[in-house]
Amino acid sequence: MTKILYTDKLDNCVERWRSAGLSVIGPVRNANITAYRPVGSAADLELSQILPDRSIKELFFPQTEPMMRYSIKKDAINTEECLPPVGPRIIFGARPCDASGLAIDDPLFGWDYKDEYWFNRRNETVIVSIACTKSDEFCMCTSLKLSPDSTKGSDVLLRPLESGKGWQVEELTDRGREAFKAIAELLTEGAEAAAPTAVVAEKFDADACSEWLRNPENFESRFWKEISVRCIGCGSCTYLCPTCHCFDIQDEGDTFTGIRRKNWDSCSFALFTMHTSGHNPRSTQSARWRQRIMHKFNYFPGKFSANSCSGCGRCTRQCPVDMGITETLQEISKLSQ
Amino acid sequence: MSEQFEPEIVAFVCTYCTYAGADLAGTSRLKYAPNVRIIRLPCTGRISPMFILKALQKGADGVLISGCHPGDCHFTHGNYHARRRWMVFRALLNFIGIPPERIKYSWISAAEGLKFADLINSITEDIRKLGPFEQYDKLIAETEAQASL
Amino acid sequence: MSIEQQYRTRAKELLSSGEVKMVIGYSKGSTPDRRRPAFISTPEDVETLVLDGACIANLSGYLVTEGLLSDEKRVAVFLRPEGIRAINILAAEFQLNAAQVEILGFNTEGNEPTALSGSKVDDFAELIGTLKGIIPDTAGEELYKKLEAMSPQERFDFWQSEFSKCIKCYACRQACPMCYCRRCIVDNNQPQWVNTSSHTLGNFEWNIVRAFHLSGRCVECGNCDRACPVNIPLRLINRKMAGEVLEAFDHFAGSSQTQEPVMASFKKDDTETFIL
Repeated sequence: MTKILYTDKLDNCVERWRSAGLSVIGPVRNANITAYRPVGSAADLELSQILPDRSIKELFFPQTEPMMRYSIKKDAINTEECLPPVGPRIIFGARPCDASGLAIDDPLFGWDYKDEYWFNRRNETVIVSIACTKSDEFCMCTSLKLSPDSTKGSDVLLRPLESGKGWQVEELTDRGREAFKAIAELLTEGAEAAAPTAVVAEKFDADACSEWLRNPENFESRFWKEISVRCIGCGSCTYLCPTCHCFDIQDEGDTFTGIRRKNWDSCSFALFTMHTSGHNPRSTQSARWRQRIMHKFNYFPGKFSANSCSGCGRCTRQCPVDMGITETLQEISKLSQ
Repeated sequence: MSEQFEPEIVAFVCTYCTYAGADLAGTSRLKYAPNVRIIRLPCTGRISPMFILKALQKGADGVLISGCHPGDCHFTHGNYHARRRWMVFRALLNFIGIPPERIKYSWISAAEGLKFADLINSITEDIRKLGPFEQYDKLIAETEAQASL
Repeated sequence: MSIEQQYRTRAKELLSSGEVKMVIGYSKGSTPDRRRPAFISTPEDVETLVLDGACIANLSGYLVTEGLLSDEKRVAVFLRPEGIRAINILAAEFQLNAAQVEILGFNTEGNEPTALSGSKVDDFAELIGTLKGIIPDTAGEELYKKLEAMSPQERFDFWQSEFSKCIKCYACRQACPMCYCRRCIVDNNQPQWVNTSSHTLGNFEWNIVRAFHLSGRCVECGNCDRACPVNIPLRLINRKMAGEVLEAFDHFAGSSQTQEPVMASFKKDDTETFIL
């Protein structure tokens, strides 16, 4: 017997959570794009898509957010810190790859200085993931030692029922159990079978790739130029990635008043490493693509013992020139044999 | 009676004709609406569309672009280039949804102090009728607010 | 012989004879319906070239890759008519020497590619003449008409909702063959005219600037629109601007390699009905 949440109860759940003080967020389709957004009622949820077009990271690390306001007057300089919005929230219908992405980035945002912008939000958010029963040719979670029903980063995991009428509930953390107490009476005990999870073929051997990347001889390999020759240098892969976390700090305003903002940045941009002198240590697109791969599968695991990739496949899915991590790592797998 | 809305208008003018025209209006003691802030530039050809966008963003209710009559440009054809640019920029703003009536264009020579004074009065009235430019207010509020998520 | 085979043979000849140092074309992508840009420099690799109805990306932008044409050797490239027009513009704006570009021209009517005869950009002058004023790809036409019929405020609301999705990944810029500036206006910070932040206001600024810089230069190949990861209908703005310069100045972008750029030229009797 397991706890079961039926789809027709979902609207009541949203109500209950809201009256318990949680804001409810989930995949919402609007203006031809699906993203994690506040939900009014269960009808707003778009749960049939393989995964939302935009990743979950923007709920914790928005594309732009204010950090500080400043004003300079004749004999005073005033600064006012801006912190992220407060209040508990529940994300219903995250994909396991997105939830894992958050868990991958936690050590990064907390290894020396604890990033309040990230952790204030993390500590107030309950993540309810739904295991995938569908996948497409870009999904690659299994190559990253994750799976379509991975629990990493989730507080509750739901497994779709075979009948399609609801989900088996698996409460994973105290925070998840707490949130599901509010809807305890809407859950049913049952033995209904769960639908089989999506089959995601393993596309590359991430460990072998990491080893190849760690070999200093391969840093200057011709491979980098060959694999990235068609890269146009946009930031689409970075900005859709659930684990890419680089940001830029910009002061917006004038001499006397303004706002300091934290904005997404991408290692694909030529400007990312440009020095004031005009020298650019990563002067070619192949050097920038190498950095992206090295960072995800060599430097990051070296420091935090996990690859900085959760296998969502958005980078390849949306790439204007059909590049992406999958192809690069497949090629590296071949080279490392 | 409620207070009358006083529009703020930014005028980008060329120094050789319209600025001199404005000067003439002043030295001729012509009275015109005080709603215009003049920014002097070397030529209408120097006026980037970014100037107009920034003016609207920073609170202008209307913008005036003015320079030498065709054929009179100090740099021989700066105003011809500018004219093409405005033609296209107007269409773009209109398509994006910023009413083109808020941006006015004129040719005023150094001898046309009277035209300058009249024009300022008439465009001030026009913009007054359109009311304050509020389309950007919501967007500006968003830039000043805390992150929404 | 299929057009694909015909063009493979031609590419092979060009490479073996040393007439070109590289062929830029299409090869199979990661899914059956995807094609990706391919850079072929040996005759043996020619067999990987694909030419079918799915080959729609405009590849002309790769020609202005830093250093590619600086050795004065020639490069062959697969181009649809919009791509050929793009070569004209790049030549007219002194970004490349059109004599260095060997064109493997094709068009896609329906799902089948057809060959276009000619190899130098000027060979296609007549064809381009017949295309004047025709929208290359009418996708989104219904929405376009709806937008035209709206009031400015309604249009503003529409674009506000679209631009609020923008994440400033600059895929539109990077995918565009006309956006070749070494340093884009948004990458300049002294002065910083365009906010780097991607709040809706910053997104408005960026998209207005982008559209303005492409006015009279855009060939409507649709690269930007297809590249946009958040599905903003960018082509509609470009379509508007292309229509505007055609109507106002009788300028059809990329008509010839000697065509004067519309924003860098003028006529003494250009319309000025809007000037007081």
